Amino acid sequence: MLIAAINYENNMSYALTFLLATLFVVAVLHTYANLSGLTLQGSTGGSGFPGDALLFSVRLMGGGQSRYALRLRWRDRSLGGGEVQQDVPVNAIIEVQLYARALQRGRFLPGRLLIESSYPLGLLRCWTWVDLGLSGIVYPTPQRHPDVQQSADPGQRGRWRPLPGEDEFFGLRAYRKGDRPRQVYWKGLARGQSLQSKQYSTYATEDDWLDWDSYPGVAAEQRLSYLCYQCLQLHARRQQYGLRLPGLRLNPSTGAAHRDRVLTALALQGSTPE
Amino acid sequence: MRPPDLISRNALAWIIAAQVLLLLPHMFRLPLWIVLLYGAAFFWRLQIYRGRWAVPNRWLKLFLILASMTGIAWSYGSVIGLEPTVALLLVAFALKLLESVARKDGYVVIFLGFFICITEFLFSQDLLVVIYSAVVVWVLTTGLIALHRSAAIDDTGPMRLAAVMLLQALPLMLVLFFLFPRIGPMWNVPIKTQAAKTGVSDMLRPGDISSLAQSSDVAFRASFAGEVPPVSSLYWRGLVMSRIEEGAWRTVSYFDIPPSERRVPPVEKIGESLDYSVIIEPTQQQFLYGLRYAEPRQSGILQLPDFRLLNPVVLEQEFRYRVRSWPAVVLGRDISSWRRRLETQLPEGSNPRTRALAERLYRDTENDAEYVLRVLALFRQQPFRYTLQPPLLDNNSMDQFLLETRAGFCEHYAYAFAVLMRAVGVPARVVSGYQGGEINPVNGTVIVHQFDAHAWNEVWLEDRGWVRVDPTAAVSPARIEFGLENAMEEEGSFLSSSLLSPLRYRGISWINALRLRYDAVTYQWQSWVVGFDGQQQVDVLRGVFGRINAQLFIGVTLASFGAMLGLVAASLFLRRRYAQPRDPALQHIRLLQARLSRSGFDLRPGEGPGAMGRRAADRFPDAADELHAIAHIADAALYRPLGPEQRRKLQRSLRHHVRRLRLRASR
Repeated sequence: MLIAAINYENNMSYALTFLLATLFVVAVLHTYANLSGLTLQGSTGGSGFPGDALLFSVRLMGGGQSRYALRLRWRDRSLGGGEVQQDVPVNAIIEVQLYARALQRGRFLPGRLLIESSYPLGLLRCWTWVDLGLSGIVYPTPQRHPDVQQSADPGQRGRWRPLPGEDEFFGLRAYRKGDRPRQVYWKGLARGQSLQSKQYSTYATEDDWLDWDSYPGVAAEQRLSYLCYQCLQLHARRQQYGLRLPGLRLNPSTGAAHRDRVLTALALQGSTPE
Repeated sequence: MRPPDLISRNALAWIIAAQVLLLLPHMFRLPLWIVLLYGAAFFWRLQIYRGRWAVPNRWLKLFLILASMTGIAWSYGSVIGLEPTVALLLVAFALKLLESVARKDGYVVIFLGFFICITEFLFSQDLLVVIYSAVVVWVLTTGLIALHRSAAIDDTGPMRLAAVMLLQALPLMLVLFFLFPRIGPMWNVPIKTQAAKTGVSDMLRPGDISSLAQSSDVAFRASFAGEVPPVSSLYWRGLVMSRIEEGAWRTVSYFDIPPSERRVPPVEKIGESLDYSVIIEPTQQQFLYGLRYAEPRQSGILQLPDFRLLNPVVLEQEFRYRVRSWPAVVLGRDISSWRRRLETQLPEGSNPRTRALAERLYRDTENDAEYVLRVLALFRQQPFRYTLQPPLLDNNSMDQFLLETRAGFCEHYAYAFAVLMRAVGVPARVVSGYQGGEINPVNGTVIVHQFDAHAWNEVWLEDRGWVRVDPTAAVSPARIEFGLENAMEEEGSFLSSSLLSPLRYRGISWINALRLRYDAVTYQWQSWVVGFDGQQQVDVLRGVFGRINAQLFIGVTLASFGAMLGLVAASLFLRRRYAQPRDPALQHIRLLQARLSRSGFDLRPGEGPGAMGRRAADRFPDAADELHAIAHIADAALYRPLGPEQRRKLQRSLRHHVRRLRLRASR
């Protein structure tokens, strides 16, 4: 454009060329301002098995200014997760979710986060690497011990307890609002009986212990993998189980929270406590 | 492709708006099919956006490109030159829209748009065009911003930001504009091949000037350093024509002049001089106009041996030049034999009756000067008529004009006069240019219109050199004294074909006042912005700083950039610092948070004031009651739907409680 202006000796072309040049200079400030003063807050990271994409969420707070087209990604591109683009309106708190692929058991540190923006003109990029201290937990890879047979046969080890579940037919009871159609005893209805629902139950067994010492002579990582598998199996069967590791004991319990506690303990086994 | 990388609806709308705006001024210069192509491209792109049609595939695109190039070559006869190049750019601009799906294509379209904006300036730098282009630049910038912004937040945001950024850039642009060194063109550029030459041409045939006299366009504007001379004396010499060929007067080409005659004959500069500068509208020709005897006051303008001025390149844009004239000097006191031969030549055997008339008139005169007076008397006494609608003439046109029709415009009289002189061996030639002009009372410039075009003569007389003779003045003195409009009052033919020209309505005073005011603005615009050149740059800088050197240039540029950018930065960053939460309740809670955190209580992000207060109550048992109350009030003040009166009450109560709170770390 400048060449056109010079060669044609055209003053308005000069003017427009300079206007664009100075617009570029002004854009430097605007791009910087778009990022400057932004507050980032990393919350707790997610957890998962090796090879899973762990979820991390980052809170963006723009303060008294709208921010546009912020892009976030991991500095370490091998973590995957791609790029997230997000606008942050005035005084809003926006939560952005990023995924990172974790490979190794233990505490997972995704490292620094790149935050950049080329708003408003797209000609300049303003960026920064922030360390939000994000961390996630990677559980051991679940592996079944070859010697343990399909211990999933509940009849031998458990005793019946009418816990609501879906494994076995347990009996019939009067239909309650909210019962699923699958559960309704249609045959009975056809026979002219009142509307009844089938009840299923699962069974609970005696408390199980996941024990570090039950696999003598196996390498530590391998042991953790076996324990992990067991934990998942027991959890799936809604059985009560506890965990015994060197220097750590978790009392038997059930539920997702208990499973997470157990898995986290397995994940962090052997690492320096924080 | 991920959605953020596509052109958003908002951005697409802005881009299309900019394209339409960019096309409009070019529309009348383009063949119709390009305009239709634009329409088709817009429609197609809209259908792509709505998901109805597909993006054209590679072969179709290739076909469209080749077809358009062929079309341009066919429409313009070539692809070289400014107009075909611009047409090609515009076609590329329209077609690029079709394949613009990703954001990076959006950049290409927008930057192409800026470039097309510049091409418009190559055709016109009129004030209105520039204002229009400023709007286009704004729309393009808005499009560029919208490209990076999801439309969800606010739709007018990009527009406002574009305006703010452009206004912030404007002062810096002005600094660069006035300081950037103006170097000459680096290489030859495609010129306008299609533009019609306007104004007086380098060939004069009876009827040429009378057709020009129908145009009310401005030819040039002149501004004098001192007093403006009387309008009747303003003979703007443009061309000097010494040859008759095929019934038309022509200039002598530079290469037909023997080398010894190529220099400007020496002139003794006597009498008063006039300094003035002229801003000439683009003529697509090379010659410049000046009062006799004119010398350029700037380098780069040539002087020819017949005392006229020539620009080395064709005038494609408004051009400003400065001249000094000495009206009283004697031009060409001595005449060379070559020039005498040139200036007395007539085509063999033409106009025999005119020659006979000339010999009869010349026979008993004592000198050439008396003969001139006698010929002028002939024009005055015989029933000659000055008219814009002269009858057509045949081959021996002057015989017919002088002895039969006796009706003509200035070029007829000038032609006849020169023939009458040359027939008896008196050196004479035709000069064409403009005569008179309109003095703008607003700023004192002389506006010369196309209808001021005129032709007159120069006769060489012993001891007096080349003397100006205007035979038209003999026929119609009003033309010279009061201008063409006055001379044509009876005939009613003045500007009869240009109904919309504001000049036609100068009888209506407010239209005339407006016209003159706008003309004054145009003159300022042309002299300070469009015509701003290296010379003016040096003058201004010397005026402001007293001296000029490279350090000064750089220093001034950096200092002004620093100052302006500092202001912009301050406006961007300080604004935010002073932004406070507006809700008073929130301010009290901030205060409370600060105090709690000083007392060793760890704040949790995202925790509401209610939950925080209850948690703090556990931590500070001594103040538990107070903290519970605060938690309760804060939740209510912030979140409960309340009338303004009640909310204010709660806010006051919250402030009271927060102030009364005493924290003592327990445990």
